[in-house]
Amino acid sequence: MVRDPPAPAREGAVLDQTRELDKFLAEVERRAFRMAQIALRDPDDALDVVQDAMLKLARNYSAKPSAEWRPLFYRILENGIRDLQRRRSVRKRFMVWLPGAKEDPDNEAQDPLDNVADGGPDAPEILMQSQAMEKLETSLRGLPARQREAFMLRNFEGLDVAETAKAMGCSEGSVKTHYSRAVHSLRDQLGEVWQ
Amino acid sequence: MNHHDGLEERSRTLFQDSVDNLDMRVRSRLTQARHAALEVAAASGRRPWLLRASIWTPAAGVTAAAVLGVALWFGSPVGHHVITASDNPTAFEDLDIVASSDDGSGDAMEMLQDDVDFYDWANKAENPGPAA
Repeated sequence: MVRDPPAPAREGAVLDQTRELDKFLAEVERRAFRMAQIALRDPDDALDVVQDAMLKLARNYSAKPSAEWRPLFYRILENGIRDLQRRRSVRKRFMVWLPGAKEDPDNEAQDPLDNVADGGPDAPEILMQSQAMEKLETSLRGLPARQREAFMLRNFEGLDVAETAKAMGCSEGSVKTHYSRAVHSLRDQLGEVWQ
Repeated sequence: MNHHDGLEERSRTLFQDSVDNLDMRVRSRLTQARHAALEVAAASGRRPWLLRASIWTPAAGVTAAAVLGVALWFGSPVGHHVITASDNPTAFEDLDIVASSDDGSGDAMEMLQDDVDFYDWANKAENPGPAA
């Protein structure tokens, strides 16, 4: 029979766990947002998906060891992104029949200067970086979803192969294949521009 | 995989720059989302394990399935079985009362039998036979 620890001890453990979760979420939230934004192209949708992933992790998995949080969090996030993309494609099919339907964010051209923040390096450098990032994002969006996930989780988030496999819900062999194909595709598309 | 390093390195740097340069509105929204998640985590952590949804959800599912199974069993024609006296004597008494109040029941037959006797007596009284 499992027994609860005494109330003060439990309170202390909850506080420690909450602090640790705060640290973890603060560390991943911005990168998670950018990954969601690259996949979804819409900042508000990306914020919603990240918020949902945070809540689900906190509600269902906060009691798990903190070492397991990262792959779990990204698995929830990728599922959220896929769900939203599926809903969008269904909505798009129905919107075709409606007059004056709003343009889908997938078709909206993005201004590279939208990503430029205040301060930091000088304007030409920012513009160059912004344009390079824009090209990278366009190329990433052109990849099959699994390749894009593998590339972003491995290269941007720094997950190892095992963690990426957990996050993607596939074998380590599949991760290696997806990643390798993603890198080759990106090299084909960006190689000349980035040389 | 060395020939990939340039691409991987450059894309990682660009991505990290874009993360570092996120605008204040997005940062603020992310902070709010994080605080909401932490409240949820703290609330679920304070609940004793017996009251946590993660414990009771499977149990509730199994219980609901069991109740549904029992309801379907007794509600379906397959589940109907013949009632015997040993099952429920009270039910048999009730059945007897209901049956006895119907037309053509035992009481009615008994009354009809009385009438036959009466008419037989009346007939004999009206037409007495030759005295012995």
